[in-house]
Amino acid sequence: MQEIIEAPIPGKVLSVDVTVGNTVEEGAIVCTIEAMKMENPILSPVKGSVTEVTVSAGTAVKTGEKLAVIEY
Amino acid sequence: MSEVTGGTTEERMAEWQKRREKILQMGGDKAIEKRHAKGQMSARERIEYFFDPGTFTEIGMWVEHRTTAFGLDKMEIPAEGIVTGFGKVNGRYVVAGAEDYTAMMGTFGEYHGKKLSCALDFAKDKGWPFVTLNDSAGARLHEGMDTLETYGWTFHSQIAASGIIPQISLLMGPCLGGQAYHPVMMDFVIQTRKTGFMGIAGPAFVKTQTGEEISLEELSGWKCHAVRSGQTHIVAEDDKDCLDKCKELLSFFPSNNKEQPPRIECKDDPEREIPELDTVIPDQPTKPYNMYPVIKKVVDNGHFVEIFKDYAKSAICGFARMNGRPVGLVSNQPMIKAGILDINACDKLARFIRFCDLFNIPLVSLTDCPAYMIGSEQDWGGILRHGAKLLYSWADASVPLVAVIMRKSYAGAHYGMLDKSIGADFVFAWPTARVTIVGADTAASVIFAREIRESENPGETAARRIKEFSELYETPYHAARRGYIDDIIAPRDTRKLINRALDALDLKWQRAFSARPWRKYSNINL
Repeated sequence: MQEIIEAPIPGKVLSVDVTVGNTVEEGAIVCTIEAMKMENPILSPVKGSVTEVTVSAGTAVKTGEKLAVIEY
Repeated sequence: MSEVTGGTTEERMAEWQKRREKILQMGGDKAIEKRHAKGQMSARERIEYFFDPGTFTEIGMWVEHRTTAFGLDKMEIPAEGIVTGFGKVNGRYVVAGAEDYTAMMGTFGEYHGKKLSCALDFAKDKGWPFVTLNDSAGARLHEGMDTLETYGWTFHSQIAASGIIPQISLLMGPCLGGQAYHPVMMDFVIQTRKTGFMGIAGPAFVKTQTGEEISLEELSGWKCHAVRSGQTHIVAEDDKDCLDKCKELLSFFPSNNKEQPPRIECKDDPEREIPELDTVIPDQPTKPYNMYPVIKKVVDNGHFVEIFKDYAKSAICGFARMNGRPVGLVSNQPMIKAGILDINACDKLARFIRFCDLFNIPLVSLTDCPAYMIGSEQDWGGILRHGAKLLYSWADASVPLVAVIMRKSYAGAHYGMLDKSIGADFVFAWPTARVTIVGADTAASVIFAREIRESENPGETAARRIKEFSELYETPYHAARRGYIDDIIAPRDTRKLINRALDALDLKWQRAFSARPWRKYSNINL
């Protein structure tokens, strides 16, 4: 099953904490988005492995834009 | 059933016994086994589990449908597919209606609906909370307009009772069409995870009318309502959990709107200091932290019953006790979407605040909110009118209103999260509070824009002006100087001050509501 991690609000990616192939625990930080003057950690809702990372530091994102995909 | 008349007293007693047993068997053992196999209880088992032992009095078990069309004349529907009555739940009277899926699939027909409306009117009249245990396949179409019109009476009854008695719906089966309407119009909906559904129409009807192919689960399951639509307040694991959670909710509420919420003995020192709160706010204003541990430390015994946990997660609301008194707590979650108030968060909080106000439950806000959300998605979605709901809810409220500003309270969010001007009785702030009309960088980009643009070193000018604005306004002092904040407190004293404020506001209910000029209601944006 796939969990598609999407941007919850528009902003700019500050950092990406995972790469393709990593295993992540539930609640692990996938990346951080700067929005509304705050750092917003984007957490994985599932335990699984990262199969896709579509952004990097500096990427501007819209609400709903794909950030990463976790296979579980 | 044949009409047996005459006979000796003994014969009449035996006949009554026989008929009564038949009704109590509902749809029969096989049908009940089918429910059990799915992990579900029967209607009467649920009633048995919900009410204090031996306290349930059933009303209307003998009611029957009168329509004869389309084979209904040959159909036996025990108790018209709904068990209605009253009993005690943790010692207090509650009225309930439990739909019986084993009786013609719990379908809603004329007399089924009349039983439900009557039970609602009864509950309103007695001032007792009303709970529905929903488990039905839908409307009984065979009865035509008798079914449709009865739905209307049911909706009217529940709306007439809304705000007079707490109403809770427990979704423990498929509840589509009309059977989804009366749950959603109640105060709270508790939905079971795998077996509870609610939707305006089921997958088959959706396919024929619109061509869309979608499963029952995806269209109307728990994720749909607890996460997406914001129509389910609490998700339960199964029937027993659902009933337990309902009982827990009821323990925070008065029986009706003329009573105060039940206060219990408090074994958690109301003036307990919380040293961890002194260091919970990060040095940098851009860094988030988790609000849940803060809430758990402030309330009695760490006990917080969250409402809409999976919906609009940048805001938090739920019930707790402070010094034994039930309170409604609202807050922000800085970890999610910067803790902003977006459309859904405004709807969520406004609905919660208004319920608390209806039932005399004091409201406490723990604030760290940078703004209402901006941008086209929100503006086109109507953030203005949704955001206005929050202001109406606060200003309309006459329960005790206490706010503690922990960090950010900017712009519209200042009223959205309860401040003095919108109606707070007490506003406290932490030394880390930033109570300001806008953040310093926003201010700089407006009032100093020209100066920065025209300066020889814009970066340095901007930084200097931002620092100046920040030092003057991104603090609690400016607001405190004017009395917009009652006191700047040590974070560790948060619990103490909230409890003292609630002590002072104990008798607010006696005066606050009746001191208003008459009007039907405010024109809250909807």
